[in-house]
Amino acid sequence: MWKGMIYKEWLKIRWFLLIYAGIGILSVVYCFIRVQHDITFSSPNGYWYFLLFMGGQYFSLLKFLPGIGALAIAIAQYFPETVSKRIKLTFHLPLNENKALLTMWLFGAGTLFISYLLQFLLFTGLSLIYFPGDIFVPAISSILPWFLAGFACYNLTALIVLEPVWKYRIFYLIVAVLFVPLLLQSALTDGFSPVNPFMAVLVLLSSFSLLFSGYRFRKGEM
Amino acid sequence: MVKFSRYILVVIAIFSLAIALPRLYWISFEKPIKAPSVFYSCVDNDFFMIRPADGGILTNSNGDEFTRDEFELKLPLNYSRQLTLNRTMPDSINGVEMDLHEISRNRSFFRVRPKDIDTPLPSLYPLFESQSGRANLEMPDDFFRITWRMEFLDSKTNKILEEKSRMFSAVLYNRGFKFPATSINGLPTTRKSCDEGYLVIDGANQLFHIKMIKGKPFVRKVDLPEGLKFKHIACVDFSDKLYYAYLFSTNHEVYVLTQYDYMLQKLDVAETHPELNEVRILGDLFNYTITSLGNGFISTTVLDKDFKFVDTYKESWLTKDERLEGKIAHLLFPFELKLTDNKSSYIRFFSAFHSSFLWLIVSLCLMVLHFIIIKKRKENVKNQIADLAIIAITGIFGFIAVNFFPNKFFM
Amino acid sequence: MSEYAIECNNLTHYYGKKLVYENLNIKVREGSILGLLGKNGAGKTTTINILNGFLQPRSGECLIYGENTQHLTPENKARIGFLIEGHVQYAFMNIHQIEKFYSKFYDKWDNEPYWQLMSKLKVTPTQKISTMSCGQRSQVALGLILAQDPDLLILDDFSMGLDPGYRRLFIDYLREYAKAKNKTIFTTSHIIQDMERLIDDVLIMDYNRVLAQRDVNEFMREFKQFYLEVENPSIDLSKEDFVANFEKVNNKIEIYTYESEEMVQNFLKSNGISYKNFEKIEMGLEDAFIGLTGKY
Repeated sequence: MWKGMIYKEWLKIRWFLLIYAGIGILSVVYCFIRVQHDITFSSPNGYWYFLLFMGGQYFSLLKFLPGIGALAIAIAQYFPETVSKRIKLTFHLPLNENKALLTMWLFGAGTLFISYLLQFLLFTGLSLIYFPGDIFVPAISSILPWFLAGFACYNLTALIVLEPVWKYRIFYLIVAVLFVPLLLQSALTDGFSPVNPFMAVLVLLSSFSLLFSGYRFRKGEM
Repeated sequence: MVKFSRYILVVIAIFSLAIALPRLYWISFEKPIKAPSVFYSCVDNDFFMIRPADGGILTNSNGDEFTRDEFELKLPLNYSRQLTLNRTMPDSINGVEMDLHEISRNRSFFRVRPKDIDTPLPSLYPLFESQSGRANLEMPDDFFRITWRMEFLDSKTNKILEEKSRMFSAVLYNRGFKFPATSINGLPTTRKSCDEGYLVIDGANQLFHIKMIKGKPFVRKVDLPEGLKFKHIACVDFSDKLYYAYLFSTNHEVYVLTQYDYMLQKLDVAETHPELNEVRILGDLFNYTITSLGNGFISTTVLDKDFKFVDTYKESWLTKDERLEGKIAHLLFPFELKLTDNKSSYIRFFSAFHSSFLWLIVSLCLMVLHFIIIKKRKENVKNQIADLAIIAITGIFGFIAVNFFPNKFFM
Repeated sequence: MSEYAIECNNLTHYYGKKLVYENLNIKVREGSILGLLGKNGAGKTTTINILNGFLQPRSGECLIYGENTQHLTPENKARIGFLIEGHVQYAFMNIHQIEKFYSKFYDKWDNEPYWQLMSKLKVTPTQKISTMSCGQRSQVALGLILAQDPDLLILDDFSMGLDPGYRRLFIDYLREYAKAKNKTIFTTSHIIQDMERLIDDVLIMDYNRVLAQRDVNEFMREFKQFYLEVENPSIDLSKEDFVANFEKVNNKIEIYTYESEEMVQNFLKSNGISYKNFEKIEMGLEDAFIGLTGKY
């Protein structure tokens, strides 16, 4: 049965997912084309100095990408379910309704995770060509909240799209608009390190949030 | 599971609102608190202030007001250029001839803010050649770190320079350095008059001075009194070339480290907390002035050139929390949450739990309001006890959160 | 096991403060086809939603094969075929994809009737359902339900958007199928003339109440319309016990009743109401429905 669910979810998001994964990889590559350019035009030691002491961030291009990708995938995945209340079909499938929703979430968040992981691995590989861990590790700590913002965006978009009542959609949107930017505020390299673990737990917990609007839909809120 | 998901959403909402609502409140209603600037006059041996909160009036510690010209005459070392232009610069003060060059050479300004201390620090530093024979410093190609040994990384190849690393590590080891370093302090910039390397604290809280002279390591261990530990070391590059650094100890004392003979001299000043307050140290021909600017107070101590106590001045004013807008905030919000603060360069949780319990009034009102909402919707109060408790503890944040995510569950 | 596929007991529901119905009881025998008729807003969709577990009634419960519809087990859900109003399906799929999708969920899946229906549609293999006509979509939705081979079919307004030919096709196919395989059907439709060909039992709802729930043939036999013209146009019979509905234009009167022609005539005579042109009117299901629920 989960194969069936995955098939349906795949049909909905495949193009968005592939395009996002492609853009993600190209963006990482572009970051390092610029690193190469800047090193060529100034000097390696000048560039290291810029990163270490002048607040330079060679990864700043990646800031909004995870969030935008997550938003696109979440909308592609959940919006078709709400058109003509099509989610009824999903709930009518012979499996537990919460399990159905969690399978959908797991697939969406899982594919998102894989595309993030691809970006991350490429970023790591290319970083380690140019920089030592002393520069790379703080960079990872800085981009982690942006990827967390991506997952938060995905979870909260699912919640908002599946909510049956417009008034509450707007309420949820307000919370999302207050919460997600907390992960995207500008900070020094490595500035997020004290809050990263807490934020990661909070975002992880928000994974279940679509169950809430799913439940409200099933109980006939309108 | 579904109920659990609601509570998580309520927590996320409370968390976000506890940041957003106070921020919105303070953006709307915060009034600036303009702290006075305090100077010490070597003419009157008294403190003089500029008070921007009162329209920029100039006073002494008695509150006597002065015109700008009068004020500048009281502080000839601060306004020496202006007085020279006015031809009112005295020839001598306290029996010392006023030589502009000497005044300028003895003038130093140092400032450290809490956010300079609570900040992400790099683990790689450039080690400059201290005696290159060139007028200007040059940025080296390699950067060092001190982990299990002292390692130099070549930025051209991103590889460790093995020979140089071994040479420096061996010298450090021989001088009794305990790896790894816990803090590396220096002025990693080419825009300084000369290079004095780094003051490094090792794994055993010993202080070392490390620099490079003609490609060779220079390592000097600084003798510290028993039990003295530093929380912050700020290297300085002043034209009098007397000291390497200001050192702030964990027991809130301030020291200077003298050049060449590595003497630690303690400043005769009350407890200093650079991690809480902005600390400024002003040096001039006659005195050092140490100012702590904190939340609601400014405290200035004057020392002579041997760091012996001369005089002190303290002034305080109502803090943000003690003013009307702060009290209203205490009523509205049970607590305030921030991710950024002017005392840190990190993103952290800065929570302010209010000492007064005024907010309980609002919480109580909101609980009653919520109770009425429950009754109006003909819902069972029993199922809403958790929500009422959330409102009791988190006030307006909780009230909004539990109503944004309606508590409507069926058996 | 109960002999009923569907059993709703004391169903009460409100939207906000507006009462939809109170203490509604519905029973659907296994193997029967029940048509739920009602005007717009009478609560047809509400009932369907409660039956499918998409709405929690204020009180009361609905059981399908003995299970509360608010917590249907997957096994039970597999026994229920569900057609959403407007033949809604996963419109982003084509007919091959959707068949592949559903086949993974049902053990009894039999794609033969599905492909049989699909072969009659003039659609390309890669054509998305969203680009199909309403009639074509109805065939896809029906085909999927047939392939699922459920024991109970719940069809919400299957006639919506279908032209007469497709409607007829849909009904004939469905009745044939249900009777051959002893399936139970619960259906609503607002085109009532179609229902006559399909249903065994009829359930007529008006605002807040049930007007009739019985065998459709019995109902058609017993429910009658009489036409007469009275001399005194101010006469009003709507309050009389035997009158189910009463319509009057000037002196022309329509009486809807379950009573016999004899009883009505006796009543008129014994109450001294003079009339002429008394006539029993033959009705179809639609006429009977309007007769029972009124024109407004």
